[in-house]
Amino acid sequence: MRTLEEKATSEWIRFQEEIGIDILVDGEQYRGDMATYFAENLEGTEISGLVRSYGNRYYKKPIIVDELKRRGPISVDWVHLRPSPDGTTGKGDDHRAVHDDGLVVRRILRFAGGCLPAFAKLLHEEAVALEAAGAKVVQVDEPALSTRLDELPLLVKAVGIVTKGLTAKTVLHTCYGNYNEIFDYFNQLPVDQLDLEMSNSGLDLLERFKREPLKKEIAFGVVDVHSHVIEPESLIRERIEKALTIFSPAKLYIDPDCGLKTRSVEEAQGKLRNMVAAAHAVRKARGLT
Amino acid sequence: MVQTTVVGTYPRIGETFEEQALRRGIARLDRGEIGEADLQVVERDTVRDVLREQNEIGIDLVTDGQISWYDSQSHFAGKLTSIEINGLVRYFDTNTYYRQPVVSGALAWKEPVLVDEWKFAQSNSKAPVKAVLTGPVTLASLALDKHYRSKKTLALDLATAIGEEVGTLVQAGASHVQIDEPILTRHPNDLSLVSESLERIRSHKSSATLTLFTFFGDVATIYKDLAEAPADILGLDLVQGSATWTPLAKHGSTKPLVLGLVDARNTKEEDPAAIAKKALDLKSAIDLKSSYLSPSNGLEFLPRDRARKKLRILRAAAKKVGVGA
Repeated sequence: MRTLEEKATSEWIRFQEEIGIDILVDGEQYRGDMATYFAENLEGTEISGLVRSYGNRYYKKPIIVDELKRRGPISVDWVHLRPSPDGTTGKGDDHRAVHDDGLVVRRILRFAGGCLPAFAKLLHEEAVALEAAGAKVVQVDEPALSTRLDELPLLVKAVGIVTKGLTAKTVLHTCYGNYNEIFDYFNQLPVDQLDLEMSNSGLDLLERFKREPLKKEIAFGVVDVHSHVIEPESLIRERIEKALTIFSPAKLYIDPDCGLKTRSVEEAQGKLRNMVAAAHAVRKARGLT
Repeated sequence: MVQTTVVGTYPRIGETFEEQALRRGIARLDRGEIGEADLQVVERDTVRDVLREQNEIGIDLVTDGQISWYDSQSHFAGKLTSIEINGLVRYFDTNTYYRQPVVSGALAWKEPVLVDEWKFAQSNSKAPVKAVLTGPVTLASLALDKHYRSKKTLALDLATAIGEEVGTLVQAGASHVQIDEPILTRHPNDLSLVSESLERIRSHKSSATLTLFTFFGDVATIYKDLAEAPADILGLDLVQGSATWTPLAKHGSTKPLVLGLVDARNTKEEDPAAIAKKALDLKSAIDLKSSYLSPSNGLEFLPRDRARKKLRILRAAAKKVGVGA
């Protein structure tokens, strides 16, 4: 299984390099799902049966049964697994930033009640290990950010525990929530970059950013990962141009709304190809490098 | 003794290969290997299992688990005129998503949506099957309204449509109808709109028992008025909405209640004796004999084996209440 996971990871990294993505991810080929992967690699958790997320998608619910402890590095090995320029898999090659996608804090917290600082501490240890292994960008996923408004101050603190002292660029990803209700917290989150799903919600947050500027970088979702439609380059270009009316090019990153695992290989590749082509076209038209 | 019921949803798949037939069926439909009619067979097998599990445990008033519902919003709203179903939106503070109904014109009820599902369920259950519908104010609040530009007008039109549906359900034999208005835990000011829309629905219910259920939080600030809402039974989430307990114990209730005392969002198992004690604490404030114990909300946020455990806890607690009452 490990061999197959490594093969799939290498293939997806090669694909991202081929089409010219600047910050890569490992594609999480080795993760059953985003919540369970970290929980099953920690002491003190037990993995239960399947629970529905939406449609025909299910995840295994982690249950905390004891004090949480990290046995050792969890996802660090996968940072090393990157192909060298000749296409064979090389180790420890860090000439380009690797985007490790998916240190989950909140997702697990939701089932756990008052254990947020404990998770945050463990994820901080993992982030430090990732940085030492060569990761230049570390992203924390908080898809459920907007679900418990009363816990947001606690969450800001927890993210602070995870990112404290890191030199890597830190990113917080969130999606499919009511952004308007959490907007006031965006600038308080102790990360360098905020990664938001924008196209699924029709870019309707842009007006608000115009009035209340974001004081950090933004990764701006330009393709809808829940639609089978492969957005044409022209449409993605329009979305990027709209983003550029609010954000400066130096602070704007372009990405899909969220992870692509719910799409077919053809759909995922099509969406990414058009996304990169659109970004390149905009750069060229504006003389950006 | 107090009776037992569930709120609505039930886990669609379980741990065994047999219990995962529905997931396989939907995947095969997506790949074009089977048709809608084939999937309905699988869906109905699942509904039968869900009813058998509830009946075996001894739940007095059951549901079909809302197995054929994609989600609480789009299943009914998507079948009304002038409503299209759009992208995914997170459902309250849960880890689930719903497809958002988009209202583009004056909406109208076309034909029965839930009646065949209800008839099939009742023909496979000894216990009465409660018909569950998402309430008009919650539907209106979570939809994208491009036509009415007024939540009130939209909600009242939805109430008219829901009333039509309730009429056909009652005609088909449904003796219990439940309207879910979780939005009240977020927007307590919507209570007067909920009451006004319930009046419209109520006129179609004939002799059936109408329950109004709120979950995902408390209704402490509006409890006194909520207890007077035009429904026969009031359902309360007393776990996530534990703050409702104080006004409930103080003011009591003239109508029977559904006491959502078993946590449907946490796998931790309650002690049936502790649940029974809580119910008995209300002995002088409400009529326990006509009331029910239930999970705090639908059971689909739990793995199936844990959901079954929760139902057994519920049943054991109800028995203990019987002894203590």
